[in-house]
Amino acid sequence: MTPGPLRFEGREVPVLDGDTVASALFRSGVRTFSRSLKGHRRRGLYCGTGECPNCTVTVDGVPGVRSCITPAAGGMRVERARGWPSAEHDLLHVADLAHPLMPVGFYLKTFIRPRFAWRMAERVIRRATGSGPLPADAPATRTTSRHVRCETIVVGAGIAGLTAALEAAAGGERVLLCDEFAIGSRLAPGPTLDAVRALETHARATPAIEILERYAALGLFDGPTVPLAGPDELVQVRADRVVVATGATESHQLFPGNDLPGVWLGRAASAMAALHGVAPGRRVVVVASTTEGVEHLQALVAAGARVVAALVPAAFVDEVPHEAEAIVDGELVEARGHGRLRSVIVRELGERRRIACDALVLSTGLGPRDELARMAVNEPVRLMGDVALEADEPALGGGYLCLCEDVALHDAEQAWAEGFRSAEILKRYTTATMGPCQGAMCGRALACFARGRAEAADAGSGARTTARPPLRPVALQTLAAPVHEVIEKRTGLHDTHVAAGATLGWSSGWKRPISYGDPADEYRAVRERVGLMDVGTLGRFLIAGRDATTLAGAVFAGRVEDLEPGRSRYVLALDDGGYVVDDGLLCALENGSYLLTSTTGGAERMDARLREWAERLGLHVHVLDRTSELGAILVAGPRARDLVGGLTDDPIDAASLPYPGHRELTVAGVPCRAIRNGFVGELAFELHHPRSNGPRLWTSLRRAGLDLGIAPFGLAALELLRMEKGHVYLGQDTLPDDTPAKLGLARAVDMTKPWFVGKAALERLAVLPSTRRLAGLVFEGAADGAGLRGAPLTIGAAVVGRVTSAERSPVLDRAIGLGWIRGGRDGFPSELRAGNAVARVVPTPFYDPEGTRIRG
Amino acid sequence: MAELRTWDPTVTSVLASAEACDRVGDLPGACRVSPGEVALVGDVSEAAVAAAVVRLDPDAVVLDVSDGWGAHSLDGPGSREAFARLSELELPTAGSLVGEVAGVGVRILVDGDRIDLLVPAMVSAHVRDRIETDCAELLR
Repeated sequence: MTPGPLRFEGREVPVLDGDTVASALFRSGVRTFSRSLKGHRRRGLYCGTGECPNCTVTVDGVPGVRSCITPAAGGMRVERARGWPSAEHDLLHVADLAHPLMPVGFYLKTFIRPRFAWRMAERVIRRATGSGPLPADAPATRTTSRHVRCETIVVGAGIAGLTAALEAAAGGERVLLCDEFAIGSRLAPGPTLDAVRALETHARATPAIEILERYAALGLFDGPTVPLAGPDELVQVRADRVVVATGATESHQLFPGNDLPGVWLGRAASAMAALHGVAPGRRVVVVASTTEGVEHLQALVAAGARVVAALVPAAFVDEVPHEAEAIVDGELVEARGHGRLRSVIVRELGERRRIACDALVLSTGLGPRDELARMAVNEPVRLMGDVALEADEPALGGGYLCLCEDVALHDAEQAWAEGFRSAEILKRYTTATMGPCQGAMCGRALACFARGRAEAADAGSGARTTARPPLRPVALQTLAAPVHEVIEKRTGLHDTHVAAGATLGWSSGWKRPISYGDPADEYRAVRERVGLMDVGTLGRFLIAGRDATTLAGAVFAGRVEDLEPGRSRYVLALDDGGYVVDDGLLCALENGSYLLTSTTGGAERMDARLREWAERLGLHVHVLDRTSELGAILVAGPRARDLVGGLTDDPIDAASLPYPGHRELTVAGVPCRAIRNGFVGELAFELHHPRSNGPRLWTSLRRAGLDLGIAPFGLAALELLRMEKGHVYLGQDTLPDDTPAKLGLARAVDMTKPWFVGKAALERLAVLPSTRRLAGLVFEGAADGAGLRGAPLTIGAAVVGRVTSAERSPVLDRAIGLGWIRGGRDGFPSELRAGNAVARVVPTPFYDPEGTRIRG
Repeated sequence: MAELRTWDPTVTSVLASAEACDRVGDLPGACRVSPGEVALVGDVSEAAVAAAVVRLDPDAVVLDVSDGWGAHSLDGPGSREAFARLSELELPTAGSLVGEVAGVGVRILVDGDRIDLLVPAMVSAHVRDRIETDCAELLR
């Protein structure tokens, strides 16, 4: 069945079986496929193998799609990216006429002064260049990632690759064979395709060979590891050996007019004629100086293309079909035309001659596609097939050197004259080889140019530029596939929350209850009765060993040496710059060790920090992360002691378990360490217990609390409860350069200690004026504080801060919040505006400032 | 085809000097997490282990941490291929190693075609889900 049409810039374009986007468009009369980066010159189909940038279009909103290798499908929306008002009639082509005004490296030389000039110019340049806007919507499909282990990976499934794969499999190896296209799909019918099909059949029947088609190798890394970008998948292949059988590309020749639409490389032209049934032009001139070139010539004629002349070496003259005029040992001088090819100038027996044509097909030499192999450093890599060939030297007669970046040969000559005298330096100055093709087309020509001009003693200047991944354009979502794996952490009470109908949400990688249906009642339960919260997400660490106190004293800014067993203390961890990285509660145990609780989001950072400083200071300390092993349930509210006391025989009165303190208890038969905690501003016990006992303990507490009006509460209620106490959420209320003083946490720092991490920086910062701090805010004229989160804080027209947290407090009956404010010579402002509301700066905590309820 | 089995392991953590850890590092089911930490998987006598290491490091910590771990075993001819889909680690024929599987730091015990993955309990469901999704056709 014939596919339906695709839509190209508002019109329908028929699609035939086997069409690429490019072949469908070309058949419908499209000749200008893109506009060049700088000069907005017309660019038409050229390489046909996905190497050059000429055919890139936007497909279904995704820019930079190489239309020559993308299968066409009915309903596709295809547009050209550059050009104003359209790619067909592009007024920005005037930039090409102004080429002399924009010499190579112009952006390093011009618009320097006045300083605003570059900002203006940059805006214009950005609009005129680029490959089109990125899609605003998230991709419809997720790119997955997987690892594959094999003994040999063969990259490239042509004759050489298939042969290498079969040889390796015959030797007993597990082989992965990959190719960026379907096997044989780019070959015109003929002996080469027949040979590929025979080998393919054999390979598919060999169980030891796994074949991945349409998987492009992106690079070669240590291991050796070869990442492959496939349809909606990134595969990371680790192999013992790599066989590179990526073949060769046809040489990009430099002559005046070499970038005109109508100039083709041989493979593209013969594929268009033989595979898609469309002649590259009405009058075709072929330049063929290789065996492959002669095959393309014959394929074109066989497919019905009218070849008017063929420039061939004398050795191939008998191969030229009689329909074409053979020009023996002729030289291509120039391609001419405005916007498309009209004629070529050739030199024959010393005489220049003009031949009218609308297609020029070049097959004049090969350059190995060896970038993958050149990335290997001491890796077991073997080259097979054409990739192992010596490259043919491209002609350098003029025209465009780098099609991606619009760098002409005379640009390279000017750069050379200015002193940029090696391929690597020319690359950086001219940006040649830095476009989407990454030098696949022009890299060899650039090196050849530098080699031709370098002094004999400076042979290195003509070396190829470094091959770097990615070899092929790749979507960011593919690269991000292994990084952005969504790992859902669950506490031991996860199933209990799901069964209770809790609304779950993400919090620092954990799935946690946001609420159990009525956040307002959950809040009231904590303030008036008793509430229950799963806090098993907190980081928990055992710090043991003879130097445990030394480590705690080094990592935390407050005094810890005087912390007696059974007591706990709020601690702040700073970095070398004196900035707050995390906080927690340090509980001293009987044997000189500590149990540390850290924030949910900072647990991994805290673990790394403790281990790093133990090692740096050479301490005899053992750190054990117990986060996964321990569950924790927070019992909070005026009736919390009644609830816990009813389920334990251990004493939990204020004298036996004071605030801030902790002790071991058995609650409902579950061994726990109870920590008195003040985060929500009420009498509270944090019950840390073996994870597997969590459901039993939770159920026991809920049952025992029925008469007390117990309610489980989630993150929504917690947000309000903690804010009423003025407690800071690190990350939400803080910035990366927050010192304890800026956060109002100077009480957690003891500057009389001889040393702790960040102390020296705090001493230096102490002499600087205080210009920013986190402040408590009450809002007047705002019924609901939640709408103020993120709002700028202003005085007149000046923005002097930002609201980081805001809620309406039921107990205070007003909107409250936290936010950053900037101060000046006269200190900090006391009244600001947040939208339509007045924000007054007040001290925190808002609720129970004396802390009597916590100590109860 | 490989068989996937999820079970609750018994895990004892030994934190001690490197020399003390060497004393228990060769026990059956031992996984050397770092120079100063060994995880012992399976039933061991906590007291006997403590006695062995405390002689060399009086500050050594020996703790049953079973609640912190879940375990998934891949067993059978397809187990290594399944593992390779989840991790770039190279498996020994037999022994233990630590590393990343399905984006999670795990401890691994290998004995031929049997691969035991010790996974932090909080992400155990994630790893099981990834095995079932990515290795579906390799599982019995």
